Amino acid sequence: MTPFANEPLLELRRAEVRERALAALGDLDARLPLRVPISIGGERIDAAPFPSLDPSDPERIVAVAEGATPEHVEVAVARAAAGGAAWAARGAAERAGVLRAAAAILRERRLELAALAVRECAKPWPEADADVCEAIDFLEYYARGAVALEVGPELLQLPGERNRMTYAPRGVVAVIAPWNFPLAIAAGMTVAALATGNAVVLKPAEQAPACAAAVVDALHAAGVPGDALALLPGGDVPGRALAAHPGVHAIAFTGSNAVGLEILAAAARPAPGQRHLKRVVAEMGGKNCILVDADADLDEAVPAIVKSAFGFAGQKCSAASRVLVHEDVADALLERLAGAVETLRVGPADDFATDVPPVIDAESRERVERYVALGAEQGTVAARAEGTAGGYYAAPAVVTDLPPDSPLITEEIFGPVVVVERVASMEEACAAATASGFALTAGLFSRSPATVDAVARALTVGNLYVNREITGAMVGRQPFGGNGLSGTGAKAGGPDYLLQFVDARVVTENTVRHGLVV
Amino acid sequence: MAALATPAPPSEAPADPPDVRAVGRELVRAMPRLSRSPAAVAERRMMATLMERPELRAALFRFVDVRPACRTRADVARHLAELLAEADPEGAARLAGGLASSRAGRLPVALAASAAVRHTATRFIVGEDPAGALREIERLWRRGVATSVDLLGEATVTEAEADAYAARCQEALRTLTAAAATWPARPKLERDAAGAIPRVNLSVKVSALTPLLRPYAPERGIAGARARLREILRAARELGAHVHVDVESLDTRDSVVGLTTSLLSEPEFADGPSAGIVLQAYLVDSPRHLDELLAWNAAQGRTTPLTIRLVKGAYWDHEVVEARRNGWAPPVFTERAECDRNFEALSRRLIDESPRVRAAIASHNVRSIAHAAAYADARGRDVELQILRGLGDDVQDALAATGRRVRCYCPVGDLVAGMAYLVRRLLENTSNDSFLGARAMGEDLDSLLEAP
Repeated sequence: MTPFANEPLLELRRAEVRERALAALGDLDARLPLRVPISIGGERIDAAPFPSLDPSDPERIVAVAEGATPEHVEVAVARAAAGGAAWAARGAAERAGVLRAAAAILRERRLELAALAVRECAKPWPEADADVCEAIDFLEYYARGAVALEVGPELLQLPGERNRMTYAPRGVVAVIAPWNFPLAIAAGMTVAALATGNAVVLKPAEQAPACAAAVVDALHAAGVPGDALALLPGGDVPGRALAAHPGVHAIAFTGSNAVGLEILAAAARPAPGQRHLKRVVAEMGGKNCILVDADADLDEAVPAIVKSAFGFAGQKCSAASRVLVHEDVADALLERLAGAVETLRVGPADDFATDVPPVIDAESRERVERYVALGAEQGTVAARAEGTAGGYYAAPAVVTDLPPDSPLITEEIFGPVVVVERVASMEEACAAATASGFALTAGLFSRSPATVDAVARALTVGNLYVNREITGAMVGRQPFGGNGLSGTGAKAGGPDYLLQFVDARVVTENTVRHGLVV
Repeated sequence: MAALATPAPPSEAPADPPDVRAVGRELVRAMPRLSRSPAAVAERRMMATLMERPELRAALFRFVDVRPACRTRADVARHLAELLAEADPEGAARLAGGLASSRAGRLPVALAASAAVRHTATRFIVGEDPAGALREIERLWRRGVATSVDLLGEATVTEAEADAYAARCQEALRTLTAAAATWPARPKLERDAAGAIPRVNLSVKVSALTPLLRPYAPERGIAGARARLREILRAARELGAHVHVDVESLDTRDSVVGLTTSLLSEPEFADGPSAGIVLQAYLVDSPRHLDELLAWNAAQGRTTPLTIRLVKGAYWDHEVVEARRNGWAPPVFTERAECDRNFEALSRRLIDESPRVRAAIASHNVRSIAHAAAYADARGRDVELQILRGLGDDVQDALAATGRRVRCYCPVGDLVAGMAYLVRRLLENTSNDSFLGARAMGEDLDSLLEAP
């Protein structure tokens, strides 16, 4: 196998590439709505249909998916338990071949898949394309990682004993995926489990069934057996039933804190008859801060804050929601940031001229508006971009002068809102940033090596970005995952991630016979 | 993915115009001798050191970069000490008993370093504002060197900043025009085969005229900068000045060129002002880009010809880093010789097109300059040679002394605003393959004048 390299992004700055992307969108639109059945054991099953809408234009139905019930969960887990062994028996190299074949299918269909993310989740083109590339990256990276893992680590060997350590699949893995990286995260969690020999039951986000189905279709087409990978579209009901099922050995979850904590609590208590402890890989929320010291280059900091806070309407786990700025440069930063935010264009995701797309659904829009209204009450709305009508649009906002206990400072908004707070020093900024308990990403703008070191020591975040935007982690380059209340600390796209999906087994043989070492 | 569908430049340049070496030798003879003053010798020694010690070079550039953001002397001293310690932990340890460790010892070093930054900056930046730059600009004119003024500034991220830059451009045009009226006649600089050449020449950056430049949506930047650039063109027409639109990174090229050609196509600008655009020879697709510019120029009926300034390009690192990060083929030539050959091929095409376009060949490489001058001589065509302030002062003086039309690109702005520019220039000046570096290191003339 060639060494891993990230899938090249589309060069969308070239007009001819943009034209090809729009042509693919036209082809997709002609096929809408897509059908997304339940898939168990390779069979496609219809149940209770529900629509998946285009957030840029909710009149457009992107897909009609079949909602799974707890009965479907029963069948899917049973089939996975029975059929998973054959998949595990194939060995890492053969599985890797299948997964890389799936990557090739995604590569072949990349424009169509990006168009689907544009439509189903209102991801703007560059981010939709990055989502496809990240899905391909996860396939290629974990396929290679599982082959390396199968060899097992070296142990000390003394005369008279032979020690071996191997990693066995855990069994059935429940994957509960979010809508904000509808291709990449669904693919990443699923493939990490498959590469290491587990069987997977995937429950995608209710808002993004078609994207997840595209990933599952590619995996099945490439040779992952139907029993080793099931797809259960739907909302909380199948999600809860799946996480609670005693036949599930591990749960990979990305989503909100509330749901993540619920899963962790439930998983801690074995059901009657359950003969294993469930492992939970949870990637949850954040309240991510960008620290700006007095020696920062504001020419760099302002565009990076805008990109981090408002790219994909602030709906990334890694998005910036607080700016902690040194008081010496706070006025200049706030004025320039406010002016920059006022230039942002809110519009449909398929328009290359759009800076900020709609949020995912009406509930999200209302939540954002509630927080902005509260911000106006408790502090000052320093800037608000112009909104637009038609979809679930929430205009970007910069809020400042808030009391430290304001919900805008303590709670995850998951939308295009950023709070600016003044601090007297970076020590104060680090204390304020760590107080929330969230520890996913953070950013620092400073040109002092000592400050960079001090902040890197003081912050407990999983990913700290210095003098750049804080979103856009790349597989193999920026392993991604949070600490504290933000997650269980597994680093997706990193060298340790696959260990979450295996049980280590050590075999020690005594090689002494009749007092002789043989 | 997205392979560059562009013709490769000629892999072998056609035979040199007969007089490249002769013109080159003539220029070198006309150059002032390398100064023996202690300051000049010390500077050459420092350049040599920086070329040999990349980690020290990085530390000094980082210091130059952060210096304007330091508010107090103590702050300057702290940053300098930290950056030097990072670059050279052993050196910092050696100094532990002295300068670097004690605050009292660090301050004088920091003061000296700040002064050095300021002094170096004045070599590249002619004045804090247009009025402050007038003396130097007039001095150059009297010595036979025309200028193009470039207003340095912070990045534009808001509409208010774009308005402020546009107002500075207008003010610069008026200030320079008023002053230029009193300058003595310099026929070589004021007329060529295509007609009169304006005395006042302003270079303008579209990225400073709008916060809306978007690589994926060029129409937004074009709409955002349109009204402001139109007002600048109107002022230039009224004042009889030249406006030159700079081209920056590839991300914004379509916006910048699209805006410029569409505005100049408007009937109100059919008879002026004199205007120009830039062609970057380091871009692999630059030959095709020149085709497009020439086709546009042929199709519109302006009475003053478009000036095309040919440069190698100043964003090479940016283009390569961005391409690598995203998995793209670099849009620039990665071999210096390829880039130099393309530069010469484009020079010949531009000179061939003269006087339908005005060719302005901008380089501080004597070979590139001599090639263009010799080719123009051989074809009996006009050519203007352009030099960056501080990077080719000797070549510039030699061009003026040998009776050639030369223009100096003069950045104007305060030290804080100019720092990003300054850092780029410094990097260029001490990079290993720089012509200036080679000359300072004493490489022999004939090898420097060889065809790339």
